[in-house]
Amino acid sequence: MSRRAQENLAAVALLAVFAGVIVLCQDFGPRARMIPLPLGILGVVLTLIQIVWQNLRSTDELQMDMIAVPAPGVAAPNPETSPGAKPLAGRAPSWREEAAAFGIVAVLLALVLLLGPVPAVFLFTGGYFLFTRHYSLRAGLIYTAVFTAATYLLFFVALEIQPYHGMLAPIVDHFQ
Amino acid sequence: MLEAIGSGLAALATPQAILFMFIGVIYGLVIGILPGLGGVVAMALLLPFTYGFEKAATLALLLGAHIATIWGDSVTSILFSVPGSAKGLALCFDGYPMTKQGQATRALAASATGALMGGIIGAVFLALCIPLIRPVILALGPSEYLIMALWGLTVIATFSEGSLIKGLIASVLGVLVAFVGTDVVTATPRFTFGIEFLMDGISFPVAMIGLFAVSEMMKLAIRGTPIVDRELVRETSTVWQGVKDAGSHWWLVVRSSFLGLWIGVLPGVGASVAGLAAYAQAVQTSSTPERFGKGAVEGVIAPDATMGANEGGGLMPTLAFGIPGGESMALLLVAFIGLGVVPGPDMLTKHLDLVFSMVWIIVIANIVVTVIGLAICPALARLPTLHANLMVPIVLSVCFVGAYATRGRIEDVVVAAVFGVLGYVMDKYRYSRANFVIGMVLAVMIERNLHISLTLYGDDFLLKRPIALAMLAFVVVTAALPFVRSWYRGKSRAAATTETGR
Repeated sequence: MSRRAQENLAAVALLAVFAGVIVLCQDFGPRARMIPLPLGILGVVLTLIQIVWQNLRSTDELQMDMIAVPAPGVAAPNPETSPGAKPLAGRAPSWREEAAAFGIVAVLLALVLLLGPVPAVFLFTGGYFLFTRHYSLRAGLIYTAVFTAATYLLFFVALEIQPYHGMLAPIVDHFQ
Repeated sequence: MLEAIGSGLAALATPQAILFMFIGVIYGLVIGILPGLGGVVAMALLLPFTYGFEKAATLALLLGAHIATIWGDSVTSILFSVPGSAKGLALCFDGYPMTKQGQATRALAASATGALMGGIIGAVFLALCIPLIRPVILALGPSEYLIMALWGLTVIATFSEGSLIKGLIASVLGVLVAFVGTDVVTATPRFTFGIEFLMDGISFPVAMIGLFAVSEMMKLAIRGTPIVDRELVRETSTVWQGVKDAGSHWWLVVRSSFLGLWIGVLPGVGASVAGLAAYAQAVQTSSTPERFGKGAVEGVIAPDATMGANEGGGLMPTLAFGIPGGESMALLLVAFIGLGVVPGPDMLTKHLDLVFSMVWIIVIANIVVTVIGLAICPALARLPTLHANLMVPIVLSVCFVGAYATRGRIEDVVVAAVFGVLGYVMDKYRYSRANFVIGMVLAVMIERNLHISLTLYGDDFLLKRPIALAMLAFVVVTAALPFVRSWYRGKSRAAATTETGR
């Protein structure tokens, strides 16, 4: 998908959100909608201006990505002289890389919801180390155990936060 | 008064008070660094342990922990763009770019020194001005608070990264997200879709964990390299450079400190607003505003000085009238009750030594935090060089557990994940995340004070409140100043080019 199409998709999604706000505001009383309604209208107007504006600009002007913008005062990284570094600077990430990043967040979220924070942290961290093969199995396991123990002690013992046991807890209890 | 100053210090010279101060500071630093947890959580967790000890020692524990969280919050904002709590947000804007440029040590040292200087100015001001501040506080009402919140919004143009329209869209979206939940004025549930969890609204710290921390980790996972690759970017800065920066920008520190004091004195205006307002004034008064958001050290010094001074300001209405300046001061009031101390006019007569003990605690705790901070800066600056394969699972896990810990609700983890994806998309298509959060932080304050102003003074409330009108004029002038300067500079450049052409 071209950058322009992506930008348009993002803008249309925003337009839908602002339009939704206007519709929902009709159910509120005059005081409750005093600020959200004008803001929803302002949002629609600004987004429409943005859609028109971005479709009038050249494609080159849309080819900017935050990840690819080098910080001022820092020499742009040279992929050929930086072994081990993926030469991402200067190019947009592929959809596969982005899907993997979304997947990482989704997996951790699913684990936390299903098992609760502490087992999720153990499985996610250990699994990540194993999958990336950045550390040996032994080192990865040690880091995972130490980090999980530290998280447990800090949040659930020292700070006395009530643990959540996950959606699977009732099922496990049932079989016990 | 001199006797009270002396006895206030003497009360802190006991082994118990010294020990409690150190415990409080170390504990506060750890809590401050954890995402989602700030000074309020630190004090709330300590409260049950404060009964039965010396008054000065108890206050040293509570205030020491609270003051240490200020710098703790700044550390993760600077190193990972992960604000420890809402007030650390302003540190992300320039602190994180400094880290990426190999200036992490300098940024951390400037932040610690700025907070120390602000803290001392705040403490001195607290000692001198308690009797004088009463008429000033009573002169201000909701209309003036509304204008102060609007002043915070003027910083939006700074973060619009070339597209003012996208910047404005982001802030409108942020304001609307802040309205999710039960309306504080009419008790109407807004944008909740019948979901009970949303009735309480979306937590600021959780939203920030998602927008900044989760989305940054997603970017890091894609990139597969450390935040700072030492093969490409060397750590060129030193602790001394940061200390010198804070000293050489002493006028910025003084201005920011007075702003922090002012916001601290006003009840109900949080430190998150203070940080943003400090950043706004640093940008608006700078001769080179275009450097901000790209690693300007002033963008680190100003918010930290403001937040350091904010504590002294916050103590003023708490001690003098028993009106807490913020959530943390409300917790301090609870501690006062436990200690058998009644805040109010009596505090300035019968318990003046205790007031000066608190002034001394602010000064000493700030010095201890800064000494520890400067000592560990170089070690902390190495953290962003850790490989992405280590950082991503660990930071993501801490973020999700931190989101859960904020309110003990598992739904907040879902919110953090959703905001993480939103933050990534906003960043990719250059809709400023900073503007989104600024809108979110200021929305409730704007709406509440607008409603109260309209009810109390009618539609033409500005005409009936000359102080608010004067403040509005000041806001318009300071907001227009960067644009006027930029126009003037452009004009001068054009004139110079024409001159050279001849």
